[in-house]
Amino acid sequence: MSERIVVVGFGPVAARLVDELVPAVRSGLVQLLVIGQEAEAAYNRVMVAEFGVGRTTAEALAIADAAELTANGVEVRLGVKVKRIDRARQQVVLSDGTSPGYDRLVFATGSRPVIPNLRGLNPDPSRPVLPVGVTALRDLRDASVLKEAVAGRKKVVVLGGGVLGLETALAAAEEGAQTTVVHNGPFPLGRNIDRGGGAVLSSSLRAGGVRVAGNARSIGIETAGPDGSFSALLLDDGSAIDGDLLVLSCGVRPRIELAEGCGLPTATGILVDHHLRTYHEPHMFAIGDCAEVRCADTDCLECRNATGPSGLVGPGWRQAEWLAEYLTLLADGGQEAADSLAPLPAEKPGIVVLKARGINLAVAGDNSAEPWDEELLNSGSANGRPRRHVSQWADPEHGRYVKMTTRGGVLEGLVTVGMPRTAAELVLLFERGAELPADRSLLLRLDGPDQLEGAGGANSDPNRTVCRCAGVSGTVIEDAVLDGCSTVPDVSKATRAGTGCGGCHSDIKDIIEKHFQAAPAA
Amino acid sequence: MPTGADTHCPYCALQCAMSLTPAAKPGSDPVPEAPVLEVSGREFPTNRGGLCRKGWTSASLLNHTGRVTEPMLKGSDGVHRPIGWDEALSLVTAAVRDIRKQYGPDAVGVFGGGGLTNEKAYQLGKFARLALGTSRIDYNGRFCMSSAAAAGNRAFGVDRGLPFPVQDLDSASVILLLGSNVAETMPPFVQHLQGARDAGGLIVVDPRRSATAAFTGDGGGIHLQPMPGTDLVLLLGLSHVVVHEGLADKEYLENRTSGYPALVRSLASFWPERVQSITGVPAGLIRETARRLAQGARKGGSYILSGRGVEQHVDGTDTATAAINLSLLLGLPGSARSGYGTLTGQGNGQGGREHGQKSDQLPGYRKITDPAARQHVAKVWGVEESLIPGPGLPAVQFLKSLGQPDGVRCLFVHGANVVVSAPDSGAVLEGLRSLDFLVVCDFFMSETALEADLILPVMQWAEEEGTLTNLEGRVLRRRRALSPPPGVRSELWLMARLAEALEAPGTFSDDPETVFEELRLASEGGLADYSGIDYAMLDRGEEAYWPYPRGSRGTPRLFADGFAHPDGRAVLVPVSPSKRASRNFTDDSLALATGRLLEHYQSGAQTRRVAELLSSQPEARLQLHPAAAASRGIADGDFVEVSNERGRVVCRAELSNAVRPDTVFLPFHFPGLENANRLTEAATDPISGMPEFKTSRVWVRRPASPLDAASVPADAETLLQIEEAS
Repeated sequence: MSERIVVVGFGPVAARLVDELVPAVRSGLVQLLVIGQEAEAAYNRVMVAEFGVGRTTAEALAIADAAELTANGVEVRLGVKVKRIDRARQQVVLSDGTSPGYDRLVFATGSRPVIPNLRGLNPDPSRPVLPVGVTALRDLRDASVLKEAVAGRKKVVVLGGGVLGLETALAAAEEGAQTTVVHNGPFPLGRNIDRGGGAVLSSSLRAGGVRVAGNARSIGIETAGPDGSFSALLLDDGSAIDGDLLVLSCGVRPRIELAEGCGLPTATGILVDHHLRTYHEPHMFAIGDCAEVRCADTDCLECRNATGPSGLVGPGWRQAEWLAEYLTLLADGGQEAADSLAPLPAEKPGIVVLKARGINLAVAGDNSAEPWDEELLNSGSANGRPRRHVSQWADPEHGRYVKMTTRGGVLEGLVTVGMPRTAAELVLLFERGAELPADRSLLLRLDGPDQLEGAGGANSDPNRTVCRCAGVSGTVIEDAVLDGCSTVPDVSKATRAGTGCGGCHSDIKDIIEKHFQAAPAA
Repeated sequence: MPTGADTHCPYCALQCAMSLTPAAKPGSDPVPEAPVLEVSGREFPTNRGGLCRKGWTSASLLNHTGRVTEPMLKGSDGVHRPIGWDEALSLVTAAVRDIRKQYGPDAVGVFGGGGLTNEKAYQLGKFARLALGTSRIDYNGRFCMSSAAAAGNRAFGVDRGLPFPVQDLDSASVILLLGSNVAETMPPFVQHLQGARDAGGLIVVDPRRSATAAFTGDGGGIHLQPMPGTDLVLLLGLSHVVVHEGLADKEYLENRTSGYPALVRSLASFWPERVQSITGVPAGLIRETARRLAQGARKGGSYILSGRGVEQHVDGTDTATAAINLSLLLGLPGSARSGYGTLTGQGNGQGGREHGQKSDQLPGYRKITDPAARQHVAKVWGVEESLIPGPGLPAVQFLKSLGQPDGVRCLFVHGANVVVSAPDSGAVLEGLRSLDFLVVCDFFMSETALEADLILPVMQWAEEEGTLTNLEGRVLRRRRALSPPPGVRSELWLMARLAEALEAPGTFSDDPETVFEELRLASEGGLADYSGIDYAMLDRGEEAYWPYPRGSRGTPRLFADGFAHPDGRAVLVPVSPSKRASRNFTDDSLALATGRLLEHYQSGAQTRRVAELLSSQPEARLQLHPAAAASRGIADGDFVEVSNERGRVVCRAELSNAVRPDTVFLPFHFPGLENANRLTEAATDPISGMPEFKTSRVWVRRPASPLDAASVPADAETLLQIEEAS
């Protein structure tokens, strides 16, 4: 008997789960039904902003193909909504009038954009009706609205200084739209970044052609555009920011109503244990944006400090891969076999790497401490645990900033702006939990020109190897020249220098010329 | 007496042309070991007269005092003593008969090498299958070209390292070198990178700032330094940019490939910033690299060349496939000014993988499981098709089977030094010692020969005739420049005599040209078709690139009209990183990459016996970043212990900021306690059988006691070599 698995939702995380389950479907272990509300199979939502500014195509965003999955035996239903879940009968009630049954059900319902409380916007989160010229940025339809505005060189106002908002604003500005980012707090990315990084980021955004309106509290929208479309964002100080399109980028909220509707415990997201199982229903699971890993064990340190769904796709993919393995083991060898699988390891705090061409920025962990801030540096350093240290380098003139917060030499937080190689290395070190070199400046120099010396270099040491292929030093060549060699072939014949790749011929020539220039004067 | 000859270098696959001339008579002060031949570079399109240090000094091995010149039998005291050839041959015959009778034909195995001539490689495959009746034959090319070969076959339907002549690279404006350090491994090749360097378009992917990577400085191009083991993700990121930025060659994809939509879907989740956080390569450099490649493809020419650095992994085939996919997205393979290729390593690494030395293969790059191929070869060999055994085991599994129940109990080794070159060498050594009978054909007491029950002395390159196929798929003549020492025999002779004694079906000639004539017939109609090539045309200097069917002019450039799949299209195969590849080293372990030095070749069995080379690189040194060294209290030149669950290496540390702080580099040319392969894992690629050579997890520390360090110079083998070489 093969198990019937139903996946509710067909975004990138569900697609990974389905992909990983295909072998079990092909071998007949599992019958798989995946239900997507959108008309398209899964696509890479992370890149909708890129699509929205015309940098990529919908075709290139696809990560699943319904026809291919169907050929592999997976049942795919697109454009179908799950109305409710009948736990007693183990059925999903669908908008197409059918009610397929399940043995196991996986929620991969993702999240939806937060619609802020603004005058002129309908605050009902489940069915927002937005005025013309106002859009969130979640799916391909939203992106098409943005695309039209960017292509038409319209004025775009982005509300929200989070990652997606900044990425959208930068990309739109780079593609020619007049763009303003509106955020509250003194600098953008306020939830992740520190003051120094935020200041450098703001000026980098401005240098990238984005207008930045900080410390702004928006209260409503004005719809005085053609056909009552958006015309300005109104702030609490009485001012207004004009625009043709308002992009709402105020975060996302997990879609949990189906789980709530069938009585499953939820918090911010659908509550699941370390096996991604919902409370009380071990045959129901949740992964990705809609899932909140928080086990019932009050002693679990990991869950005590958990902060809810990360909203990042990486953890969702890891959950999908793990769950596919778990479900395959369940179908194949029952609970005992599945229990042999080690639980999913805890996620590291999320790392933000801004997807942008003009600005290089990476932020991770806790960046609240400042180098001289004794209280914050000492926090958490009881019982022999070392205190935190902060190393910092700021060069706002050139848009560069680095801050490394370490404990026992291991990163607890990092901020880099304008330092691509440093950013790449620090992110790796953060992920590995590896100790930083004692000389932190090593990490700053990665982006310096001295790290990129060529093969030749300006090395005047006569003992250095001039010809690597034949292993001949400058001294040996000088001796040969003293012995009468006056051309490169002469030197090659006498020393074998220059007989391999020939790359040192100009160096040999220099040595010969130097000798004969010096000779008459002697 | 030496007569001299125009031939090619004994070492790598570039096969530099060289002339050997009798050395001038020693003057008043005769030196007994002065080389009998003088080496000089010869004008040829690949090396343009250039040679590296290894080539220049190659003749010094011909009359080396350490040369084995008589069959040597190991006594019960473990000492090898000379015996006559008749006795040697009857010992081998008896051992084969005995073991075959007791355990069946698959208890006898043959391990070959990518340095053997085409004639020897071909005849070795035939000898194994007909004279020994065994399926157990494979070779050290499994450690070298197997991943690239598997990927090439999968995508293009054929595997020829470079499907174009080397000099095509001269005009390229962009060359992407993936895990290849040509400045050390084949220095004269560097001439062909000059055009790209002048155009600022040399892009090198290497976790180390290798000598080749350093060429990208001073405006020569870009160096991408990914974490070891993340090459596949980097390549997916490059392809992602090509697709999403509209840089792909749509018309080419439409007309010449299949599988594009599925490939695009597989790339969607590898956007540059995500790839950066896995590989450590900045997103901006990923975008720039993709754009440069696309620019080059439109104007000037772009080439993608892969090397062992990206291929010698458990996901080597998929990584090579990712490189091929990138090249196909850009429309490079088979176009006039661009291309994709892999740089073959061993001297006859190309020819050696075409004519039946591989466990799953028959001559002409035929599959041993293909009934038509078996019929064809059986006919050429004059035997019943049923006499040809089925597929055997690839090298790593083969070596694991040594001495095991149902495994190999009697082994022939030809042109390989597995004690040094195979992964997890400690286990290999145990395997060899558990054999009933080990025969090693070599010209020196290599570390593997030392383990042999019987060592059979064979000819060196300057003493034999034959052909090799270089990295471009061009067949070259190797010519005899002097007579071998009296007690030395050719391997063709040896196989012929043993076949006779074992009453093998078919014929076995000891004449290279006769064997080549048979190889021509056996390869005819196969992918690697040599039927139109003969010695006379090679001796006239004609270019012979396979496939060279009878009556044709050969194929300098493959894929101009189509790929070797039935529909003429190249196949885009979606690949993704395995979960194993994404493991993170979270403690103080380091990633070990193994590799080469300019001065040495392969296991060093030859080059460690050349005084000039040994004095320049006398020992293995562990390259270690100063930051990694400082936190471990290690100074430059200190002895360090490098260890993991498989073994331990003790060697000197060389502090260098050419390696990443999380990575160490150890050359693999050295034996004993310095043998890098004590640490490598015998885990293999599921498709190619390639072992994991480039990403082992190791711990580096100062040796626990001074005694450990002191044991290094006392290593008997090292002392022996120093003595022999000086």
